Amino acid sequence: MATRADWLLALPLLLPLLACAATAALQSHRDLQRGITAITAVGLLLASAALVAEVISQGVIASQMGDWPAPFGITLVADLFAASMVAITALMYAATALYARGDADVLDNEALWHPLLAALALGVGGAFLAGDLFNLYVWFEVMLIASFGLIVLGGGREQLDGAVKYAMLNLLATTVFLISVGMMFGLTGTLNLADMARRIPEIENQGAVAAVAFLMLAAFGAKAAVFPLFFWLPASYHTAIAPVAAIFAALLTKVGVYALIRIVTLLLPEGHAWVAPLMWFLAAGTMVVGVLGAAAHWEIRRILSFHIISQIGYMIVGIAIATPLALAGAVLYMLHHIVVKANLFLVAGVIRRAGGTFSLATLGGLWRRDPWLGLLFAIPALSLAGIPPLSGFWAKLFVLKSGFDAGWYVLAGIALATGILTLYSMLKIWMEAFWKEVPEGTPELPPITGATRWLLLAPVAGLGLVTITIGLWTEPFAAFALAAGEQLASREAYITAVMGVIRP
Amino acid sequence: MSDSLLLLSLVALPFLGALAASLLATHARNAAAYLAGGVALAGLALVWTAYPTISQGGVLRAEFAWVPQLGLNFVLRMDGLAWLFAGMVTGIGALVVVYARYYMSTEDPVPRFFAFLLAFMGAMCGLVLSGNLIQLAFFWEMTSLFSFLLIGYWHHTQAARDGARIALTVTATGGLCLFAGLLLIGHIVGSHDLDVVLASGDAIRNHPLYLPALVLVLLGALTKSAQFPFHFWLPHAMAAPTPVSAYLHSATLVKVGLFLMVRLWPVMAGTDAWFWIVGTAGLITLLVGAYVAIFQHDLKGLLAYSTISHLGLITLLLGLNSHLALVAAIFHILNHATFKASLFMAAGIIDHESGTRDIRRLSGLNRTMPFTGRLALVAAAAMAGVPLLNGFISKEMFFEEALSADGLLVLPLVAMLASAFSVTYSLRFIHGTFFGPDPQDLPRQPHEPPAWMRFPVEILVLGCIFVGVLPAATVGPFLDLAARSVLGEATPYYSLAVWHGVNLPLVMSMIALGGGVVLYMALQKHLRSGIEGPPLIRRLEGRRIFERALVFLSWRLARRLEGVLGTRRLQQQLRMVLLLALAAGGFAAWHRGVGPGNLVPQGVDPVIALVWVVGAACALGAAWQAKFHRFAAIMLLGGAGLVVCITFVWFSAPDLALTQLLVEVVTTVLLVLGLRWLPKRMDKPGATGVEVVTISRRLRDLAIAIAAGLGMAALAFAVMTRTPPDLLAQHFLARAYTEGGGTNVVNVILVDFRAFDTLGEIFVLGAVALTVFALLRRFRPAPESVEVPEQQRDQSARDAERPDRRDGDTVADWLLVPSVLTRLLFPVICILAVHLLLRGHDQPGGGFAAGLVASIAIILQYMIGGAAWTEEKLRVLPLRWMGTGLLLAGGVGLASLFFGMPFLTTYFAYADLPWIGRVPTASALLFDIGVFALVVGATVLMLIALAHQSVRGHRAERRAETAPRALVPGED
Repeated sequence: MATRADWLLALPLLLPLLACAATAALQSHRDLQRGITAITAVGLLLASAALVAEVISQGVIASQMGDWPAPFGITLVADLFAASMVAITALMYAATALYARGDADVLDNEALWHPLLAALALGVGGAFLAGDLFNLYVWFEVMLIASFGLIVLGGGREQLDGAVKYAMLNLLATTVFLISVGMMFGLTGTLNLADMARRIPEIENQGAVAAVAFLMLAAFGAKAAVFPLFFWLPASYHTAIAPVAAIFAALLTKVGVYALIRIVTLLLPEGHAWVAPLMWFLAAGTMVVGVLGAAAHWEIRRILSFHIISQIGYMIVGIAIATPLALAGAVLYMLHHIVVKANLFLVAGVIRRAGGTFSLATLGGLWRRDPWLGLLFAIPALSLAGIPPLSGFWAKLFVLKSGFDAGWYVLAGIALATGILTLYSMLKIWMEAFWKEVPEGTPELPPITGATRWLLLAPVAGLGLVTITIGLWTEPFAAFALAAGEQLASREAYITAVMGVIRP
Repeated sequence: MSDSLLLLSLVALPFLGALAASLLATHARNAAAYLAGGVALAGLALVWTAYPTISQGGVLRAEFAWVPQLGLNFVLRMDGLAWLFAGMVTGIGALVVVYARYYMSTEDPVPRFFAFLLAFMGAMCGLVLSGNLIQLAFFWEMTSLFSFLLIGYWHHTQAARDGARIALTVTATGGLCLFAGLLLIGHIVGSHDLDVVLASGDAIRNHPLYLPALVLVLLGALTKSAQFPFHFWLPHAMAAPTPVSAYLHSATLVKVGLFLMVRLWPVMAGTDAWFWIVGTAGLITLLVGAYVAIFQHDLKGLLAYSTISHLGLITLLLGLNSHLALVAAIFHILNHATFKASLFMAAGIIDHESGTRDIRRLSGLNRTMPFTGRLALVAAAAMAGVPLLNGFISKEMFFEEALSADGLLVLPLVAMLASAFSVTYSLRFIHGTFFGPDPQDLPRQPHEPPAWMRFPVEILVLGCIFVGVLPAATVGPFLDLAARSVLGEATPYYSLAVWHGVNLPLVMSMIALGGGVVLYMALQKHLRSGIEGPPLIRRLEGRRIFERALVFLSWRLARRLEGVLGTRRLQQQLRMVLLLALAAGGFAAWHRGVGPGNLVPQGVDPVIALVWVVGAACALGAAWQAKFHRFAAIMLLGGAGLVVCITFVWFSAPDLALTQLLVEVVTTVLLVLGLRWLPKRMDKPGATGVEVVTISRRLRDLAIAIAAGLGMAALAFAVMTRTPPDLLAQHFLARAYTEGGGTNVVNVILVDFRAFDTLGEIFVLGAVALTVFALLRRFRPAPESVEVPEQQRDQSARDAERPDRRDGDTVADWLLVPSVLTRLLFPVICILAVHLLLRGHDQPGGGFAAGLVASIAIILQYMIGGAAWTEEKLRVLPLRWMGTGLLLAGGVGLASLFFGMPFLTTYFAYADLPWIGRVPTASALLFDIGVFALVVGATVLMLIALAHQSVRGHRAERRAETAPRALVPGED
């Protein structure tokens, strides 16, 4: 019988799938497309909220596609981590869809924007819910293609250049992933992640397992823009149009991190002892390279792009330490980071709209002209730097505390220093774009008014509110993250939920 | 009023006030001032309400669950020390609000100013009332943040921006160190609760992590309190409006570091490390600050350095590890707050009413502003430590402590020297501004300020006098409360009195007073000359070092790092990914060890081996030719694909072989169609000669490719030479017919067992088509590829020569037979597609293959008939096809949910159809039809996107040429 779990796990994927199909078919009917996207956004939010509620009350839930018992069919599975990621994906979908209604670049390309956005949401959601390695690959592919389509939406030479680099490197990484899926299947005879987790310890050829797992780490590391495989990100993100850059910044790398967490917690639990030093190195490198890269740039979106990388480093710290608290830190960091980063890229879009450029050298005077915009920038910017009372402070606290508890003082120190430089970068944007007067020779654009202003600023304000809410009313989020961390660290609940329903 | 309510409202009220103020209209100056003043006074009243409890030695405490999972509660805790500070924050806050009301110009957005001020006040209250270390760090960062906004309030000036930036960078960096330090303390103690921490002094001091924790905490405290070598941010912060300086640099922000050191004094102090770090920092700051202050020409600059110096004094006291010194420190914190706030306000009044703060320009203001002059005189005297004023008493205590610190003669000497300096700069402040001849050409005609603007100064100066004359009766009880809350039973006996008899401290005071006056007179000439900066240490500027460090970090290092790591060239990046994947796999295998498999290798069949040799040759050839001969490369790629196809046949996988074949055909055709629009390569291979660099690079790439291939092969060999446990495949074979209702296992896997994957994959195909469409929609062929190909030109020329022929006739003639054939074949191919689709569940075929076959039919029409002709006859709406396909496939899955089964559960039955017979009709068939529709739609969409390039290409070409061709009849 179809249980509630079956519905709840299918809906976050079905809705964008149908939305994509419908908006693609109704290409020339702009109003219908908009309506469908709006309905999908609301539906996704409700469905994912229901999913989170269900997982909180019922524990890990699974649904066997086609009613084929695991490991023979494909399983969709949601633990707290996955459910929260799905919910945040829905939020990002809604926010960017709303913002796009006011964004001139999207309005020129609306026919394709709607289906491609839905496709991206499907790919990301699928990756979060997949309980099957090959299925995970499929969603990676969906994501890759949809994101490629979204990057080239702007249609300029710059976008093409960024898109080609993005696509080539990601294709290579995806290919490495596909190869490792095949190898893993050959080694374990199964594709189901939970089943694989059970079987891996019994395999005698541990060297091959380790090699395959490392190939996966390399593939996901490239996806997550982990040092030293990060270059595709700064080469491409700043070229995309504002809402596209925002949803990319929010979700794409995080899917890589998500997969890394799954691999490390499910497939490498025993191997963690010898993976940890490597992770230490990756985390430190990622944080430092990202934040220094940002310091060297004077274009808002390039700065923000590099900061994605450095923040990924914090999540890797969580994976490296891998205690329940550290994993909780990684989860909380991801949730916080997705909201904040998307918000920053959206604000960057508004800044360009208001100031005519992304370049800090030619921007200025925004604080005087539009203090609300300043406030809306300051919230995510400070949160990114981990300043209280915003979400970033808590995320950082979790990661740092787990670092101190585990005795990883140096890494915690690097994380702190990264925070300072992040603050410095945000300060740079604030000083140049907001406080500085408009430089000579830069024409002052007319202010954004009317409905456009609301459409652009409403999602920004909404995401800012989320940041503040996490910052001030931390308890439920912290409790949630800790519970998610426990689930990830123990992995029993996950395996039981997937495999426990084997029918004869 | 309950404790919790009191404490909570003390913290929350300012924030709520800030929120309200920020919502006021931009020029609602009075409303904002009343609001802010009201909040500050309410805060003060709340503090006073707590006095009865505090005076009994009680502690107010309120605890709220915050993040209980981390053992973290929001604890507000008010003991004597916190009470004293809260009183200072709200009391002086109220005075500053009154002052600011008159100081701020109507042109500034004043409500915003008060909003920041109130928020800062809230953060301060939260900080001093924190009963939890994390919470302390939390509010600590907030004070940094709001002070940043206050300092940079006049952000249109470069100085304000720099001041704010430096202040925030330094204090926030310190704040993060403090955060780390507090976390370490929490780690040592096992709790972040302040009460627990304060009770475990020995555990902390004896822990191996004591020193790092101490250093980190002190980094926070010393940066915030502007101690050497972090003092440089404070003078730059003088770019703030004067009320801000009066508030931040007398009573609040800079005192926070001292507050923290006092707070943690019972658990952190008492060690040599504490003595040396805190004492040294305080000593240097005391002396250097006072010295530099003498040579400042800006009134606020002078006050800034004197603040630094006094903070150094307090820090030094704290560093002495003596109980009496601690009491003196707390006392001086209070005294300094009163006289320095009033002096800042006086400086602001002078600036406000005369238009300048430059001592070199100011002079003789006593005649025009007599009352202000007298107030400033008293406050400055208190700062200089003149008897009968509050500064004198705490300074006496300081001297006494300096004398009693054992064996260090340097302390009393430095104390006396710094004290003499302070007399000098106080004199300079008063004498330089208020005395002497009448001022020349001031920006404004000086006059007394409004009475209310002077009022706060009067209150504060009265405070200086009262405390100075009757210390024990006025401030005594409060000081005692604060000291007791820190030291508890260990509070020493001390006497607050103006007259202790003639003793060494008194003598030192007198020497310092005299010395200071003499020094001032001696320096007159130098000071008049107006040279900027203090002699001897002019070049030692903290800010320059700070900026250099930042430039190094954010520019040189970052650039270099980016140069080394971040290449913008795709090839290098790809190389990097490959090498890393190789290294990762290799390392892991080497680390864990790879053994040989347990299967015995079988003999190699020469035929398949030969086929593979051909395939490998094709692949190599494709790679070799990819750069210079794209067409050949595509053909060779097709060859490699065919070998894969043959391999599938060889291993009895007809379904895969069929699909592979069709995919190869369609992709090759589409690629070739696209090839037409790529620009020609200008440089032929070999034309420019062989370059060593190129050769070596290609050789290196070849080596990498071989290594990667070998690695992959080795891994595959290791994996495939052992029997896998309990293969999934066996399960599929067993259940395909019995439970999936199909004998074609591959198809059952695709549409049933793993239909979900298929759904995803067809979705990918659809998304690819959409993306290709998105790409090509805006694409305009490059000018060099718009040119009509040679063959077409010849044909057109031929047509043009003959009057009876129209353009395009020749090619139509040439393709007559193929076009008839393809038209005839079209229905046949379509029927084949339907056949493949329907039988798919049991025999090779299926929706995917059928869709490809159908699209081949359409591709043929386009190729032979041309886009225009085909679209006239056959209108395929690819997006509709795709949408329908997806909706169908997704809908089948959804339907099963409505029937109460999990997503994509199939329903299976045989149906008797007329003429066709028994047909297996699983709901999977519907799913397969969806696949079919999508594949057709996606392929055709890509085809159309490519085909229409040629339509556009022709248009572009026509635009490029001139009128005569447009006259040719028949052109569309």
